[in-house]
Amino acid sequence: MNELFESIRALVCGISGIRCDTWHLFADPLILRFFGEGLLQTISLSLVSVFLSFAVGLLFALGRLSGRRWVRWPSIFYIETIRALPVLLLIVYFGIKGTALFRPIMQPFFGEDFELSRFWAGVLGLSLYTSAVLAEIIRAGIVALPKGQSEAAAALGLSYARAMGHVILPQALRLMVPAMMGQLTTVIKDTSLVGTIGVFELIRQARVIYTQNFNPLEALFFVAMIYFVVCFALSQASRRLELRAPTEVKVKIQEVQLRDQVA
Amino acid sequence: MPGEILLEFPDLFSRAFWYTVQLSLIGFGGALAIGTVIALFRVSPVAPLRWIGVAFVEFFRNTPLLVQLFFLFLGLGALGFRYFTTDTFESIFRAAALGMALYHGAYVAEVIRGGLLGIDRGQIEASRSLGLSYVQALRYVQLPQTFRATIPPLGNIGIALIKNTSLASTIGVAELLQAAEIVESRTFRTEEAFGAVILLYLVLTLPASAGVNWLERKMLIAR
Repeated sequence: MNELFESIRALVCGISGIRCDTWHLFADPLILRFFGEGLLQTISLSLVSVFLSFAVGLLFALGRLSGRRWVRWPSIFYIETIRALPVLLLIVYFGIKGTALFRPIMQPFFGEDFELSRFWAGVLGLSLYTSAVLAEIIRAGIVALPKGQSEAAAALGLSYARAMGHVILPQALRLMVPAMMGQLTTVIKDTSLVGTIGVFELIRQARVIYTQNFNPLEALFFVAMIYFVVCFALSQASRRLELRAPTEVKVKIQEVQLRDQVA
Repeated sequence: MPGEILLEFPDLFSRAFWYTVQLSLIGFGGALAIGTVIALFRVSPVAPLRWIGVAFVEFFRNTPLLVQLFFLFLGLGALGFRYFTTDTFESIFRAAALGMALYHGAYVAEVIRGGLLGIDRGQIEASRSLGLSYVQALRYVQLPQTFRATIPPLGNIGIALIKNTSLASTIGVAELLQAAEIVESRTFRTEEAFGAVILLYLVLTLPASAGVNWLERKMLIAR
């Protein structure tokens, strides 16, 4: 029985060109550890980017809602321009070529030979894009709250900052939790682009494996499965946290998430 | 100035622009076709078809497009599959177009499924009992609503697709991003080369998103 199975396998692999002889690699603890390091890079890239972009995105969301024109217009410009550009372009340009722009700013603080590391270059590119997307999602959440909330806060004598911090944002952000988890899935997929500028995340690790063993089909499929497990779990979790937001918010979030669905 | 460099390399940029447009159009057409079929699978009464639909959507939505492109070109290339052409550039282009269609097809399928399921059965039954024929019920009751619910999201997927064509540069399609890198490596004028390509992308995406926003508002009023 076992022999029959072996010969069928040999026949299938021989005809199709699938590299069955390299399959044992994906059970080898050293190779698995190698992929594990890639996964660690992928996850730390996405978490750092999401936290950074949340902070920046919040600023731009508030900026876009501001009553002052010189705050609102630059925010709209930032959000709409960044959202109109491919994220890979942002990563390649601002991450690698654009480091020359940052060197003069950073050199006084970090010394003459300051170089933005590839990791942070990737974080920069990802965060530029994700912050614009999160700004739109947060704005949708804030706009969705009944006007009475901010009016009541003002009537109670709360300042703008206090009304935002104690009344508006806690409610708006709670509405946005599922959408943000959904965005994390997208960012995890986007980190694959950072491999192209030389961060050793999952895809880059797979490339190392398949250039040594000539098995791109197997290595890429293996990596696809790792991504699938992580992203599927996250997207299911965000679906569980069923969105109890009003319809306009749902429509807006669907718009943002479809339009900014990358990689 | 970015404008000057566009005039210095008119062939390169116009060909790259054309590649991006072609890839977007072919990819979007493919995505609509694949998405419609998968959406029909997902609402079909036959269980195995539904499973195929779910598996397709979840697999392609939860893995990066870059992995899919590498897989379609390098992975299948390792098996000797060349997309029915001996021309390497053509086979790369076809792999990229297929990748665009598959990845965005999964999103299209979800949108179309939402549009199909969004309509209450009772509406069709009501229009039938009011004396409309089945075709009339479809024509005047179901389709307008499905249309309204799906057109703006499909437009948004199209915009995402235009931007995502930049990923094809990683497997070697000479589209806009690739053009920027080529020009940059020839002239070392980084800011200009990338500035020109940023402008060209904006030329594609800004009108598209203005159009989709307009549609969205129009459909919202009509609803």
